[in-house]
Amino acid sequence: MVKSLRKWWPLFLLPTALSFAFGFVIPFAEGLYLSFCRFISISNPKFVGVSNYVAALSDPQFSHAFWLTALFTVVITVLINVIALAIALCFTRKGLRGSNSFRTVFFMPNLIGGIVLGYIWQILINGVLTNVGQQLLALNTAAGFWGLVILMLWQQIGYMMIIYIAGLQSIPSDYLEAAKVDGATAWQTLWKVKIPNLMPTITICLFLTITNGFKLFDQNLALTGGAPDHSTELLALNIYNTFYARAGAKWMGIGQAKAVIFCILVICISMIQLKATQSKEVQQ
Amino acid sequence: MAEIVLKNIKKIYPNEKTKKHRFGKKAKEPEKKSNLQVTDEGVVAVQDFNLTVHDREFVVLVGPSGCGKSTTLRMIAGLEDISSGDLLIDGKRVNDVAPKDRDIAMVFQSYALYPNMTVYENMAFTLKLKKVDPKVIDEKVRAAAETLGITQYLDRKPKALSGGQRQRVAIGRAIVRDPKVFLMDEPLSNLDAKLRNQMRAELIKLRHKVNGTFIYVTHDQTEAMTLGDRIVVMRDGFVQQIGTPQEVFNHPANLFVAGFIGMPQMNFFPATLVRDGASYQLKTPKFTVDIAPDTCKKLAASGVDAAKTDVTAGARPEQIELVAPGEKGAICGKIVVSELMGATVHVHADVNGSEFVLVINTVDFDKSKGSSFGIGDDIWFKFEPDAVHLFDKETEKNLIQA
Repeated sequence: MVKSLRKWWPLFLLPTALSFAFGFVIPFAEGLYLSFCRFISISNPKFVGVSNYVAALSDPQFSHAFWLTALFTVVITVLINVIALAIALCFTRKGLRGSNSFRTVFFMPNLIGGIVLGYIWQILINGVLTNVGQQLLALNTAAGFWGLVILMLWQQIGYMMIIYIAGLQSIPSDYLEAAKVDGATAWQTLWKVKIPNLMPTITICLFLTITNGFKLFDQNLALTGGAPDHSTELLALNIYNTFYARAGAKWMGIGQAKAVIFCILVICISMIQLKATQSKEVQQ
Repeated sequence: MAEIVLKNIKKIYPNEKTKKHRFGKKAKEPEKKSNLQVTDEGVVAVQDFNLTVHDREFVVLVGPSGCGKSTTLRMIAGLEDISSGDLLIDGKRVNDVAPKDRDIAMVFQSYALYPNMTVYENMAFTLKLKKVDPKVIDEKVRAAAETLGITQYLDRKPKALSGGQRQRVAIGRAIVRDPKVFLMDEPLSNLDAKLRNQMRAELIKLRHKVNGTFIYVTHDQTEAMTLGDRIVVMRDGFVQQIGTPQEVFNHPANLFVAGFIGMPQMNFFPATLVRDGASYQLKTPKFTVDIAPDTCKKLAASGVDAAKTDVTAGARPEQIELVAPGEKGAICGKIVVSELMGATVHVHADVNGSEFVLVINTVDFDKSKGSSFGIGDDIWFKFEPDAVHLFDKETEKNLIQA
């Protein structure tokens, strides 16, 4: 068995290696090259150096989208994780009736696609805004931002809750009983015993929420589409709009440059976050 | 001063059945895992437990797994609700008092050291929560570490310690609290055999240094015998016998205790007890044993006066001696297994379908009684005068009342 694997390994590696190459490595490399070019169709790009990057970085809409995305990510990361952990703590309590049905209900929004959720919440939020006499989403920057936050909470809390529940359940009950005998209150047990032992889970959840926040696209497109006047446009949507929605040959390359900047940004932030939380993880 | 009184303590785990009914599913008979009594209220894990643990006493709860010993300990700790009965610590009813207010410390089987804290922090945790002066905490932690010989590990995380060291930290965490009662739930069972023997000896030493009241749970009869001032033998939720190690060993209350305490196990065989005036004889198809006069008196006093009684008789392997072939009153058996243990040989001999285990000393062995224990050989032996235990065939209770 091992011997034949040693002989035939390229055959087993091939399908994934090919799809990874054609689906990821080659487009990524080509994209990287195109970000230094001026082009309309990718068959005849013209090399222009770093001018696309200069244009991208000096685009006020891009920097607005960046700061908005950063703010948005911080807000949803904090809210999603705090609320999801709180709910997970409730649902892991012994003797809570119907906790399985509650878990299912909380998890379900995650099964609906982002675009659909975006349109559903657009109707809901616009309905509420009409009733309280405020401007509709299309004209209301603050409502657009907080609408996106609510939408993301709605979609992500259930998912993170499931991960937190799994994490909480993997903490040996002995630790909690020892803490009880040692005289820790529920609050002290949470901070001194549960959360330190939950760090691997927290790492995963923070990683997912931060990257989800930065990469958010469908929900943004469906709920506000960036309206009014690009003021609720997050990074991914800004890149998309730069690339597809603007007239003129130069915008393609600029969009491409923005995408590369975006990619580096997401990688850096995720790495920093992983390093920071992993150092807090404990070995059992 | 810490006296613990358990009065008619009972633990019932409610049935899950009623819940299932709501969804219209047919309730399935739960798989029978043990012989625990099942009532309408649920599974009874501990039945009418009555015990008074005196100040500075070391009481060991012992029994096979699932007998309710850990449940009882956890009820004393406050980790498990008490279904009925009263638990008193120093005369105060503590049934509804939170674990932290019972002034107890517990050592868990898994040690339950917090992996995110160093040894020092683990030991200091409980005092820190009580807002004790850091200087006092430091003193107490270092003193306890000194006692247990773990001073050099204070800055380590539990992960970096061996099983025996973790065990010491777990005990240290209990000592620093200076509690009224130490509760220990199988603290040695995660250690390998050699370390277990070593830690057992250390526990005995420690116990005199600390001078506390101990309640200790184990399934290991050796630990029970060596550590306990008194032993509580449990089975299927029922207390079988409470007594000193000597009492439990020399006068087991029933067949179960007789079989559970003692290694190798007591030999049992069916027999008929025949009474002739003031003397008794034990008869089997193959041999007859005269009962010692002392035992006869006790039997008469216990009201065993029928002419013939069917019994299960027992004799400890250590109380069987080899005799010369053909000696009067000797029993002849065929050797089926012979295990050399080093200083002793455990010889299994078959007598009319009952297997007897004999422990034979190899060190000062008398050659005249045979020297090789080959399989299929005949072996001649005799019970020591007071070796025979008699149990009722039906109730399995010891016929001699203590």
